[in-house]
Amino acid sequence: MSLLADAFTVICVVAGVGFFAAGTAGLLRFPDTGSRLHALTKADHLGLGLIVLGLLPRAEALGGAFRLLAIWALVLLASAATGPLLARVAQRRDPSA
Amino acid sequence: MAAATALRATLLLGLWCALAGAAPADMPVGIAAAALGAWASLLMVPPVRARIRPGALATLLLQLPAKALGAGIAVARVALDPRRRPNPRTIAWTPRLPPGRARDAFLAYASLLPGTLPAGVGPDGTVLVHALDGEADVAAAMTMEEALFARAFGLDV
Repeated sequence: MSLLADAFTVICVVAGVGFFAAGTAGLLRFPDTGSRLHALTKADHLGLGLIVLGLLPRAEALGGAFRLLAIWALVLLASAATGPLLARVAQRRDPSA
Repeated sequence: MAAATALRATLLLGLWCALAGAAPADMPVGIAAAALGAWASLLMVPPVRARIRPGALATLLLQLPAKALGAGIAVARVALDPRRRPNPRTIAWTPRLPPGRARDAFLAYASLLPGTLPAGVGPDGTVLVHALDGEADVAAAMTMEEALFARAFGLDV
């Protein structure tokens, strides 16, 4: 059982790190601010979600699991609020984008 | 109003306990923070009478992880494949929700969905949406998501 939980954690965390790397690659490669925001909001959210999912079986108690989920939810909330705001500013500065 | 205040304060106190723990010595600070948070949230977002449909809301929330997975994979494929370049486009989309908090909430939700990023107000009451894949029918996808969102919260569209 412990081996299964360890394998689950390793697979999820490695996949999460992979999506963070993809988000960073998008941040560097994508041509405009809007596309870079896609990389940061979509790939990085998934990366963080997978890391949280992988760490859930390692949580010491229910409180630890709630804390991990709360961190993910707060990041999603902050991102949903700030992503469109940044996109709006970028659109105003460069309407052709 | 009192019920909304109590509900928000309770939810914020629950979040405080999830993040900082529920040690009795820390609770006065948690209760004060939750009360201040509830007061600030009522000031910025006054309560509205929502007609939440639990079934539709559960469907919306349960679909979000699958959509987040699709969105992340789509972006990662474009970002990591050196032969592919993004083909971004900004479109003007006409929402059915009237201007206001319901539309703002939907646009925040839409920023988490695959391929779409609201980017401000366009001409003639439209909303500008930045699409990573310019070939995709982003307007149709946004209209469909708006209908699901409106149904979950009992909004008229």
